[in-house]
Amino acid sequence: MNKDVAIVGVGWEGFHPTSVDYSYKELIYQAANKAYHDANVDPRKDIESFISVAEDFFEGTSIFDEYTPDQLGAVLKPMHTISGEALHGLISAYLMIRSGLFKIVAIEAHSKASNIKSITEVTRYALDPILQRPLNFHPDFVAGLEMQRFLHQSQCSISDCSMIVQKNRYNALSNPSAAYPMSLAETKLSEDDFLAYPLLESHIAKPVDGAIVIVLANGDVAKDISSQPIWIKGVGWCNDSYALEYRNWGELSYVQKAAKMAYSQSQITNPIEGIDFAEIDDSYAYREAMTLIALGFADNTTIRGLIREGAFYPDGKLPVNVSGGSLGVGYLFDASGAQKTVEAVLQLRGIAGARQLSQPSTAIVESWRGVPTTSSAVVILSNQRE
Amino acid sequence: MYPFHHPFDRPVHYEGLFPVTNRYTYGIASEKFFRALKEEGIILGTHCPHCDKLYVPGTIFCETCLSELEDWRAVDNVGRVDTFTVLYKNLDGTYRTEPEIVAFIRLGDGGLVHRLAEIDPKSVLIGMQVAAVFKPPEERTGNILDIRYFKPV
Repeated sequence: MNKDVAIVGVGWEGFHPTSVDYSYKELIYQAANKAYHDANVDPRKDIESFISVAEDFFEGTSIFDEYTPDQLGAVLKPMHTISGEALHGLISAYLMIRSGLFKIVAIEAHSKASNIKSITEVTRYALDPILQRPLNFHPDFVAGLEMQRFLHQSQCSISDCSMIVQKNRYNALSNPSAAYPMSLAETKLSEDDFLAYPLLESHIAKPVDGAIVIVLANGDVAKDISSQPIWIKGVGWCNDSYALEYRNWGELSYVQKAAKMAYSQSQITNPIEGIDFAEIDDSYAYREAMTLIALGFADNTTIRGLIREGAFYPDGKLPVNVSGGSLGVGYLFDASGAQKTVEAVLQLRGIAGARQLSQPSTAIVESWRGVPTTSSAVVILSNQRE
Repeated sequence: MYPFHHPFDRPVHYEGLFPVTNRYTYGIASEKFFRALKEEGIILGTHCPHCDKLYVPGTIFCETCLSELEDWRAVDNVGRVDTFTVLYKNLDGTYRTEPEIVAFIRLGDGGLVHRLAEIDPKSVLIGMQVAAVFKPPEERTGNILDIRYFKPV
């Protein structure tokens, strides 16, 4: 059986703080058209199965999977919805093709955040109803607790996390699709506007609207229809205990295990040597630093120095979130992993415009489902088939 | 082709409301835990003999080896601050008049998320010992708010 799977098409619409003219279906339709054109496929004829990634409470519609086929060209075709992160959807498509039952599969993820009038309440409803909800805290207390423990263990400061915000929003200046670009390098961020000390308001990625569609194909088809297939070399996913009470607050063990699974499939023994750039979770600035440790690019003793020497800027040792990340592009909730995948594909094809890195060949993409979850997924991508 | 609005037009949309209410069964473990909190003012955990792990709050199974757990133990009402945060905002996004300290207090191999009081936020340290302050017995109802807050020892 052909074990190779590649991304053969990407399309996106956005990303903007609001999208008053388009409904979510129209956003997805626009993204799908672009992805199918990029992949050179007819969705009604060529694509054999479709996956949508959506969470009912964020959509404001129960049993949301009923609302997903038409805008993708998936009516009366195999289709299912995953209540997870976009990378979980991408991995499911990858596994479907690896099974040999499907040759071409499309996945879709989107955010219509501007339509959610009670984002904080929806997030609060994800907390344990018996142990935490009665306390009535703003749900970002979870991020505050995690950041505090991280600063304690790594000796990083709040300013080090502000440097991550500066980097990502600066990177976003070179990304025409980014909603929150800003040249903050010369201006120090205000460090007195706390939501949950030590977490600053400016360290939290702001929501955006947008949709992303990605088309995957098996190796033989990919070779035929695409001049620049991007190969999926490894995938991994993992969850820790759901309970805040049983969690180890100082480390992201689940990210570490997801990465280990993906590295093993990709035959990467040393990520520092094997990976050229990373698009990873930065929904809160400190998470980028914690994730870099979990992925094996740093440890608690080195992360502070690496941030301060600019190792994660586009011209540094490991470019991280060259797209601008969620801090610069905007936070797409469960579609964030799809935005990061699109950036990796553009970079690996060499068509990322003003932010193009110099001849990268391998990328790591990582995402997290946000507070209060321990749900993460990792994908390794390369422009080299072998 | 697309209906771009005059800048002063209100975008066309429909307002939806979904009043969600739910009931959450405590289950065997939480009922025992909260009954002990209410009736005896004690914090209960369960010990896994295979993993030598003391789960707080108690649970009827070990998430590491999936053994059934029956060894219920009262843990000390004093624990250590594993991490903490200071909340400046309410749920509705408005600023609090007084910031509130939230801590994760390590008890056994688990712990509790709760308020920390009777201390200036600037004086809280990771590793400091804190004790549970219970409501008077007649005011307890069998939920997490039967502990008013934790305070430094």
